[in-house]
Amino acid sequence: MADIVQQPATGSQNLQQAVQARAKAKRRVRLFLLLPALGIIGIFGLAPLSIALIYSFLEPGTYGGVEWSFSTDAYVQFLFERDIFDDTLGFNSAYLQIFGRSFGLAILTMCGTLMLGFPVAYFIAARPPEQRNAWLFAITLPFWTNLLIRTYSMLLIVRDEGFINLALMKLGVIGAPMQMLYTDGAVLAGLVYSYLPFMILPIYASLEKFDFALLEAGHDLYASRIQVFRHIIIPISRPGIVAGCALVLIPALGAYITPELLGGGKKLMIGNLIAMQFGSGRNWPFGSAAALILMAVVLIALLLSLRAGAEKENRHG
Amino acid sequence: MIDVRHVTKKFGEGATAVMALEDVSLIIPEGSFFTLLGPSGCGKTTLLRLIAGFELPSEGEIRLDGDSIGHLPPHKRPVNTVFQNYALFPHMSVARNIGFGLEMLKRPKTEIAATIEEMLDLVQLGAFAARRVDQLSGGQQQRVALARALAPRPKVLLLDEPLSALDLKLRKGMQSELKRLQAETGITFVFVTHDQSEALAMSDQIAVMSAGAVQQVGTPEDIYTAPQSRFVADFIGDTNIVTGELLGYDGPMAQIRFGEGRSLSVKTASATLVPGPVHVALRPETITICDAASDAALLIGTVRDATYFGAGSQMSIRLEDGTEIQAQVDRPSPAGTLVGLNCDSAMLQVLAD
Ligand SMILES: Nc1ncnc2c1ncn2[C@@H]1O[C@H](COP(=O)(O)OP(=O)(O)O)[C@@H](O)[C@H]1O
Ligand SMILES: [Mg+2]
Repeated sequence: MADIVQQPATGSQNLQQAVQARAKAKRRVRLFLLLPALGIIGIFGLAPLSIALIYSFLEPGTYGGVEWSFSTDAYVQFLFERDIFDDTLGFNSAYLQIFGRSFGLAILTMCGTLMLGFPVAYFIAARPPEQRNAWLFAITLPFWTNLLIRTYSMLLIVRDEGFINLALMKLGVIGAPMQMLYTDGAVLAGLVYSYLPFMILPIYASLEKFDFALLEAGHDLYASRIQVFRHIIIPISRPGIVAGCALVLIPALGAYITPELLGGGKKLMIGNLIAMQFGSGRNWPFGSAAALILMAVVLIALLLSLRAGAEKENRHG
Repeated sequence: MIDVRHVTKKFGEGATAVMALEDVSLIIPEGSFFTLLGPSGCGKTTLLRLIAGFELPSEGEIRLDGDSIGHLPPHKRPVNTVFQNYALFPHMSVARNIGFGLEMLKRPKTEIAATIEEMLDLVQLGAFAARRVDQLSGGQQQRVALARALAPRPKVLLLDEPLSALDLKLRKGMQSELKRLQAETGITFVFVTHDQSEALAMSDQIAVMSAGAVQQVGTPEDIYTAPQSRFVADFIGDTNIVTGELLGYDGPMAQIRFGEGRSLSVKTASATLVPGPVHVALRPETITICDAASDAALLIGTVRDATYFGAGSQMSIRLEDGTEIQAQVDRPSPAGTLVGLNCDSAMLQVLAD
């Protein structure tokens, strides 16, 4: 500031004012241009979240909806059960178990899609460029049909009279049909199937520009195949792996259709629990609270993993 | 010493098969700067990849200091490569790129750190150890690639057209730098190029290749002054190839006559040619111009045009038999004049084909 005051000529002061005025105008234009984006974020992102947040602190209406009186019951209910006779709170792990199963299934889904998806993504990236689009098309082909229909067809394959059981019985491997439907295994298989492309595509994107000469360079410098995989392929595809894991884990946590159909409503996941509160359960505040708790847990996990990643980056320099 | 014995490399099968190398035998002396020179597609890269282990020979054997290595995977050969496009690891710092080989060899950390230090000094990149490789210029990346390949102290360093991506000025600098590195480290360098002036300037020995075969191996002087075949004579510099008549042999020398002139004693690439017309290599810079009627004139031709290039002029002359040849002279004769061409007969060479 000091040297501005010392400037003697008024000409340069005028110039300064003009520059400041222009900067101000520029800021205004920029703000104006940002409006559509801010509007969309507000309407589709913040508004529903705010509604959920407000509802979670209200009381449930008798026939669904909410009563407009403040209550933290929805959050209390998540961990505790109110005794119907003496109104005392007792610990209740039922919802925690559902959360636990959801996380377990989602993490297994992530691992499963990673194990299957990585080789597929690598395979496509190793094809000549003119063939890659055909492979990618094949990967995304299932998206052209509705998830519900795909899950139903899965159901037809794994049910007692389904394809697998019939085939195994024909071959004489088993005498009576195996129970596959309505098990965690069926839900897991369904989830892996549904989310596989979300793992393949980002990993492929990170490998698309991969210079395969780097593999030769690695071998040339005394790295075995496994060491080349560990020290060259994995680090270079890491951004894709991280993105793929997030893209699978987060929606898998909130999966609704797959556990509903393949788990038969017996093997609940968070998504089903939340949906139930807005439907037959008629407890909107609890549904909102469960959704927000899920979101908070995911956000915290994401932040922690980001920080861990940043630290790793720093250490390697 | 690398001993390449009767190596053949065929890509593909049946009608579409490509013979990249056909019965190639070579001896690359230990500690030498050895160049594979030839036009694009002649199999230089294939030979290099066979020595590195990225390809396996279809037939034949490759020995390194007496041990057969032709069928070992690349990571079991004491041979390192400087790749044409460098192939530096983009996710590692300069230092870690250089240390990668030693890291894979499970050398102690202190040794790795010391070698990285030493290599950074050797290629004058000391200040760039922590940089990411994509923050370097092409010339700097080149030197990182060199340091990375030299760090494990291989017995042989393979370089596949390492300078072709650099601009002319940088290339000249790197040429002398490579020579210096080779002399300082004593490692055998096998260097691939299609640029004959680069090959002549840098090599202890040159192998000239064409169409999957080695045409001639020798020192730069050998290759330049005594080409064996039309291909080599043509490929090295702008040699003129003129037709003379072989009269016979006098010991190791061939007796040659041009037109009705006198007989000359000339070096020859082959002692088994039948008397009659043969091809003789004649370097443009060895030609002197004289009077067409004088006794000194070996050949007679008409001046077509002359191009000034600073240190002299390049004259284009059409001989009586229609052959067009180039001569470098101080003062060109005007176009259309009939001139005589003279040359020290020691600078002539009879070609084998
Ligand atoms: N992997 C390959 N598959 C089929 N043909 C190849 C392969 N590599 C090289 N070739 C062929 O072998 C010949 C020699 O190639 P190369 O060794 O790359 O020549 P240079 O390096 O001298 O230009 C060429 O005709 C090339 O097309
Ligand atoms: Mg090549």
